[in-house]
Amino acid sequence: MKLTGNCKISKNGVFLDGEFQKQLQPVDENWKKEIYSKLAIDYPKFHKMDALAKMAFLSVEILTTVSNIDKFKDSEIALIFANNSSSQNSDLKYIHSYNVKGSPSPSLFVYTLPNILTGELAIRHKWYGENCFFIEEKFDVEFFLEQVKFYFKKGAKTCLCGWVNSFEDIEECLVFNIENKGTNDTILKEQLLTLYNQ
Amino acid sequence: MSQIFMTYGTMITPIGNSAEENFIAMMEEKSGVQFVENSGFNQENWPLGKILSLPVENRYNELLKRACANLIKAHGSNLFSDEKTLVIVSSTKADINALPKDTFASTRRILEEELHLKNKIVVISNACISGVIAINTAADYLNHTDYTKVVVIGIDALSDFIVYGFQSLFALSSEPSKPFDKNRKGICIGEASGVVILSKEKINDAFHVNYLGGSSSNDANHISGPSRTGEGLFRSVKLSMERASVSSEQIDFISAHGTGTSYNDEMESIAFDRLELVDTPLNSLKGYFGHTLGAAGLIEVIASMKMMENNTLLKSVGFEEKGTTHPINVLKENQEKEVTTILKTASGFGGGNASLVLKKCV
Repeated sequence: MKLTGNCKISKNGVFLDGEFQKQLQPVDENWKKEIYSKLAIDYPKFHKMDALAKMAFLSVEILTTVSNIDKFKDSEIALIFANNSSSQNSDLKYIHSYNVKGSPSPSLFVYTLPNILTGELAIRHKWYGENCFFIEEKFDVEFFLEQVKFYFKKGAKTCLCGWVNSFEDIEECLVFNIENKGTNDTILKEQLLTLYNQ
Repeated sequence: MSQIFMTYGTMITPIGNSAEENFIAMMEEKSGVQFVENSGFNQENWPLGKILSLPVENRYNELLKRACANLIKAHGSNLFSDEKTLVIVSSTKADINALPKDTFASTRRILEEELHLKNKIVVISNACISGVIAINTAADYLNHTDYTKVVVIGIDALSDFIVYGFQSLFALSSEPSKPFDKNRKGICIGEASGVVILSKEKINDAFHVNYLGGSSSNDANHISGPSRTGEGLFRSVKLSMERASVSSEQIDFISAHGTGTSYNDEMESIAFDRLELVDTPLNSLKGYFGHTLGAAGLIEVIASMKMMENNTLLKSVGFEEKGTTHPINVLKENQEKEVTTILKTASGFGGGNASLVLKKCV
């Protein structure tokens, strides 16, 4: 298995394939919107998304500027995502809508599932392949690679994986693409750990 | 790949505390859905699939403990504490009342305490298709790792969070839900836990089925509404049948998703038409239990296994009159029939669709 691309974003900035992207460096609190503006894309749905979906959306937008995931058929791309906070941030906002603001908000409620973000990616890129969202205790490289191996055995040609969290004041997102060729898995594990800890 | 077997773990719903109890109650056309006072945001009395014996507080954790107790009683503790046993949990909201603390922490703690597990617990939270994906994932582990048994636990409990949410989407039905019926009005929410055990060899003398194949596919269309062409469901079922090496004609029965909303049920009829499955008998069990979210895939698979074991198809409670563009074969009455091969489908928020194919062991 081979790492063919990755993107990590947070309020501190964007790393694409491990390289800091100076031109995308956000400066204010509203960092996701700022990166969206710098990317100069026109996708109004972005503004409706919750923090999880925004982060996944942006990192995959940036990743696909350099990686050619779209060379694969729309059913050959598996999305394997995980986090350790589910949709906690959106859950709390939605609870606030009915406990404090007077009525349950349908637009907040639909984001109270973590897999909405994989749905947003599928819609944006017209990817019809297999999806799964896992809740893990912590970022676990071995677990991701085990799942990736399963999806390759089942016929996927590439696996787009992601670790995306939004809870308390933590906002983090790492997406990485793995193809079924070359490289030994020990090197791949080290690469992914280095990226996560970067 | 070698054969994969699957048998009953347990099934807890408003109408029964085991797979057998539930099947008997369903044969008697009992429904677990009843009006629950002040369950709505504006104190409406919504019809819900509520387990009345669960405490007001801590429903999720209590339900999970009951499931564990049933599992130990039925299978002994060695099966779970075996180092070659893996546990996969399917839940959308788990212990939602734990917020702002980790809503999945109690799941891991209870399972570790009650079942003395040796391995890490895998948790899948992928909306209403979680259960079917969890079973598919269990098969992946059996096919490609050293695990010999995988226990799949589907569970979700009722909460204001969920009821208010579906109410805010105008998706709740004011009467017990009527999947696929002309006069369907929406979803009833329910709570349940369903557990199956997949393995490389039969684990006991009880009824087993073979898991033949499964898959998922995204609609790539809308985060909270189904595709108008049933694209994701079409693709997933097609792929599952390919993986299972079965054709449409070989499917004896479909355990459909059938939430009772106008759009969902219509979408399913479109997908089944495209798949040449409109004549295949099908039901939705949401009329018996409501929509139990992360548990739905599990309890519906368990009920389907009971139908295979008893060669009896259960009717789709609430269905009276054709209510979809394509004339699918919704079961109006219980029917005795040799049932060898079945298809289970699920669709959900996030545009997800999943399916799997099971065959009776000979």
